[in-house]
Amino acid sequence: MSMIEIKHIKKSFDDLEVLKDVSFSVEKGDVTAILGPSGSGKSTMLRSLIELETIDSGEILIEGEVLCKDGIYPPKKKKKEILDRMGMVFQHFNLFPHMTIKDNLMCACLCAKQGTKAELEALAKELLAKVDLSDKIDAMPSQLSGGQKQRVAIARALMRKPDIMLFDEPTSALDPELTKEVLNVIKQLSEEKMTMLIVTHEIGFALEAANKIIFLDGGVVAADGTPEEALTNNKNERIRAFLDKVM
Amino acid sequence: MKEIFTEWVPLMFSGCALTVKLFFIVIVLSIPLGLVITFLYSGSISGKEKSKARLEKKKSLINYFLWAKDCVLSGVLGFYILIMRGTPLLLQIFFIYFGLPFMPVVGKYLTISDRFTAGAVAYVLNYAAYYAEIFRGGLLSVDKGQYEAAKVLGLSERQTTFKIVMPQMIRISLPAVSNEAIILIKDTALITTIGLVDLLKVTNSIVNRTTNISAFIVAAVFYLAMSYVLTLFFKYLEKKFAF
Repeated sequence: MSMIEIKHIKKSFDDLEVLKDVSFSVEKGDVTAILGPSGSGKSTMLRSLIELETIDSGEILIEGEVLCKDGIYPPKKKKKEILDRMGMVFQHFNLFPHMTIKDNLMCACLCAKQGTKAELEALAKELLAKVDLSDKIDAMPSQLSGGQKQRVAIARALMRKPDIMLFDEPTSALDPELTKEVLNVIKQLSEEKMTMLIVTHEIGFALEAANKIIFLDGGVVAADGTPEEALTNNKNERIRAFLDKVM
Repeated sequence: MKEIFTEWVPLMFSGCALTVKLFFIVIVLSIPLGLVITFLYSGSISGKEKSKARLEKKKSLINYFLWAKDCVLSGVLGFYILIMRGTPLLLQIFFIYFGLPFMPVVGKYLTISDRFTAGAVAYVLNYAAYYAEIFRGGLLSVDKGQYEAAKVLGLSERQTTFKIVMPQMIRISLPAVSNEAIILIKDTALITTIGLVDLLKVTNSIVNRTTNISAFIVAAVFYLAMSYVLTLFFKYLEKKFAF
């Protein structure tokens, strides 16, 4: 059973057709990098997996269960149960600015009654140690650097114990040094066999850390395979041109 | 000089009691009311778009009802805010105290015979409209990413509103809320027009009696002191909830 299976999804914003017919699947433990030029539908595709965008047609299956079929979603409770299996990290971090780092991590879990306060606090400490930010537990988001914020955002998503992590350009708002901090955390997660989908412009990172690359162009999948197949040996002219520009 | 402290100040303190009482009642009622109006109004404005889209997809009775509900709610609240912000507070006080009893049919049910209550109702309705718009400004400046983060973390709409959006909205609105509260301190003087005695009324009668206008200066010090205390209080709040 695939962790994620997308079949022929389509999505338009008014007259603009962003996803024209996208299909692919992701297996357990896959680190999938989603590449492509701006406006190719990468983010929309990723966001539709967690219902931040609704799709017009096609089918999305998460761990074999239907999240959406032709624009119809399962009942609220079932849908929430499916969505809760995924965590998401955004380009602009989206930490809650009025809460300390600890509260940022614990807020959602407390609301969902995922455990006792003591248990969650222990988990928060453990995850902050993992992203190397133990000393920031009582800090406010405004006191952190961009890279630190993004690592907190990753820890926050991990608090919900997701099976799948989605990253929407996690390093696009960071300078190269801070980017490295964040990519190291993602690499660490990949070593732990976390299933991840990463929309990114870091081609170098994609080649190094991902075992699967999907190249979107103009709302369709232009390439899908191992980094070798998808990028290095690809004959597709559009991909070659893109790679020449960015590498 | 001596009579300033032995006669004027005690009299003015007694006038101040009404000013302060009115101020607190209006603040305590109009801020929560403003919050409720903000959420209803914003909810109905954005709901109108959504329910219209839903209606276009499927023309069912319930979708018609939801669309109509949002249209009516946003219309009524928009009209309320227009009236409250678009007409003088003084006129509203007059209308509620003198005008309501003369309304055809409903007049006898809406009569508020107590001057203070009638005045307070006018203030609360007026200030709630301003507060509603202040909070709506705050609500609009909460980043869209906050809603998305809350959603992907599995928070319900209610949890998102109370734990994520509202604290940020109120914090963003604080300077404007403080501004409005300071205006209210001084607006309380309008209640004398329906025959109540507040700080300014007391001062005025002292001036008339003694033909000494320095009582106005003492009254100014009173108002200034109250505003200053408020300013300090809101500064403290802003600092406490800074992020």
